[in-house]
Amino acid sequence: MESEEDMLDARSATSDDGFYPNNDDECDSDRMSMGYRYEEEDDDDGMDGDEDAYEDDFLQYGSDEDALHSGRPSYTGRQQLPYTVLTEEAITERQDAAIESVASVLSISRAQACLILRKHEWCVSRVNEEWFADESRVRNCVGLIEKSIKPSMTGQRDIREIKCGICLEYHRIETMQACCCDHYFCQSCWRAYAHTAICDGPGCLSLRCPNPDCNAAVGDELILKLVLEEDKRKYRHYITRSYVEENRRAKWCPAPGCEYAIEFTPGGDIQDVTCNCGHNFCWNCSEEAHRPVECVTVERWILKNSAESENMNWILANSKPCPKCKRPIEKNLGCMHITCTPPCKFEFCWLCLGAWSEHGERTGGFYACNRYEAEKKEGKHDETERRREMAKNSLERYTHYYERWASNEQSKAKALSDLKQLQITQLEKLSDKHSLPMSQLKFLVEAWLQIVECRRVLKWTYAYGYYLPENEATKKQFFEYLQGQAETALERLHQCAEKEVKAHLDGDASNVTFTDFRTKLAGLTSVTKNYFQRLVDAFENGLAEVKDSTAVNTTVQASVKGKCSRSKASSSRSNNASRVVDDEGHWYCRHCTFANTGCSTTCSMCHLETMI
Amino acid sequence: MSTPSRKRLMRDFKRLQHDPPAGISGAPQDNNIMLWNAVIFGPDDTPWDGGTFKLTLQFTEDYPNKPPTVRFVSRMFHPNIYADGSICLDILQNQWSPIYDVAAILTSIQSLLCDPNPNSPANSEAARMYSENRREYNRKVREVVEQSWTAE
Repeated sequence: MESEEDMLDARSATSDDGFYPNNDDECDSDRMSMGYRYEEEDDDDGMDGDEDAYEDDFLQYGSDEDALHSGRPSYTGRQQLPYTVLTEEAITERQDAAIESVASVLSISRAQACLILRKHEWCVSRVNEEWFADESRVRNCVGLIEKSIKPSMTGQRDIREIKCGICLEYHRIETMQACCCDHYFCQSCWRAYAHTAICDGPGCLSLRCPNPDCNAAVGDELILKLVLEEDKRKYRHYITRSYVEENRRAKWCPAPGCEYAIEFTPGGDIQDVTCNCGHNFCWNCSEEAHRPVECVTVERWILKNSAESENMNWILANSKPCPKCKRPIEKNLGCMHITCTPPCKFEFCWLCLGAWSEHGERTGGFYACNRYEAEKKEGKHDETERRREMAKNSLERYTHYYERWASNEQSKAKALSDLKQLQITQLEKLSDKHSLPMSQLKFLVEAWLQIVECRRVLKWTYAYGYYLPENEATKKQFFEYLQGQAETALERLHQCAEKEVKAHLDGDASNVTFTDFRTKLAGLTSVTKNYFQRLVDAFENGLAEVKDSTAVNTTVQASVKGKCSRSKASSSRSNNASRVVDDEGHWYCRHCTFANTGCSTTCSMCHLETMI
Repeated sequence: MSTPSRKRLMRDFKRLQHDPPAGISGAPQDNNIMLWNAVIFGPDDTPWDGGTFKLTLQFTEDYPNKPPTVRFVSRMFHPNIYADGSICLDILQNQWSPIYDVAAILTSIQSLLCDPNPNSPANSEAARMYSENRREYNRKVREVVEQSWTAE
């Protein structure tokens, strides 16, 4: 594919253009380059207007198309993408090629070939295989009857006129039609028959002869010959759709309103797909792309988010059933003396769930139910109490991950709309203000694309984190460390892209400071990219680096301060043995992760010797 | 106002008048060829024997490419007939063919009376009774047969 080659060349050119002060060892720039494959757009004259308009819209910032595509971060290997994005025209082309091939090999009409292909998932080799194994079985199942020469002469009035079985009127035989059987009907009845079927939806593609005893299939030839323009358009549309919908190798892009289809190349290993509309999705589960997290995790997570079970967990954790009527009661304030709402009105003790009437001097007074305390001391911890406690913990844990997952999703959506805004108005404004060509501003687009991609990855790492087994503490620590680092880098990048650009848009910042801004943002983009690459790599090998748990905790690499102080700062990597000092001169204690100032060797928090 | 469906319904009517199948009759209502009244007589030598069951058939302009809506007006007790008189019959739904006419529809319904399909019940009581207690089922059928003579 020529255009693809061109793009790859252009891409490698753009990655060398000096905006990457930090294009360092960690990431092989080759692998990081993104790979997109376009369906020979350059050669495609038949591309429809909508699509052109769309492309223009998406490539707002000028004619430098490749910049956008190469700027988009993707962790997919670039060589030989295992899939192709298909436009409607490309689908039709492929369909035609398949039909042509089957028709010529089996010596049948194109309409028949189309019917057979539809029944065999548009797979030419399968058609050939089955046809030559048992032709009559294939014919039977598709409804292809070998045509007898003469129409049946029942209802004959004149040798040249027969009765149409639908309108019951006589017509001249040569004006009548039959599919591949000998049941002739008049043109207007056929038209109405086909029209009704087309209005009923894609089922019209499996239309059979109107005679209820006949299995003959009605092919596209006959239908397209008979029906009106509007119906033809619909029918053709259904045929095109069938190529994707009845084909295991193809899928529609699940983005709302997107009309591209994706077809995978046989033999390829397909995971994440990036449609030409910009939507990123997982081939296997059609959910939004979630690499490096696995489909099962995503499915569980999505189910969990939607599941009623979380409500149940909340009720379990925060309420107790009334001992008499069993309705759940939430105790928000007040004393332990609970009176259930009418009609129950049962009075009981919140702690022991015993009747309030039994509470008195004997049991230690109204306000201190000793029974519960006594039970607890004896170790007779109530089973339901324990369950309630566990449910509460698990709910808190879930809420922790869910909040982070959801807020990253929000940030991603915001970043996408900011990117659009940037492309629509801000780029031009900046270009005018600082008298720079559009091509010099693509670092902004790259930064935003990186933000969007990173938000997506980060979001799914929270689903992963939720399901990471509690007992794999080392893995968890390492994962959280990587996640924390990546998140910090991303926050810095996002803040820079969001806030600092404002000064250059509205303020009187000079060209000199703009150059600084550019260097900073491009640098942050690159750094963030590296952190995320490391995170993704670690996921992909199943956090294999921490398998050897004895090697862990020998070294402290770095910790993260501020928002992400969750990170436990331990890693198996033993190359950077010394403590890490950040740009503000803090060093992090390897025992308690406290950010110390100064040059002492003892942590001022835990007072343990830390310097090596 | 002669559309293909109206023309076809006129032909259906002519056929019913000149060559009526045994045990059925039907005719369009005055001034409305799209709405028919019909009567099905219970087949001889069956519990349905002697019954005169009234139905309505509502056609649309899609006829004969779409089936009419057929409904019993008389009260029925049958595994495949709903309480409101609508009928669960394949040729009135997905197995419809434009080849069928009013005579074919009414004949099919007539044969459904003695040959119910208890596996897709529209009236679960009738279906259960039909499979488990045929005597009681037949008694219930006789009841609706007698009601069909008197009901307006």
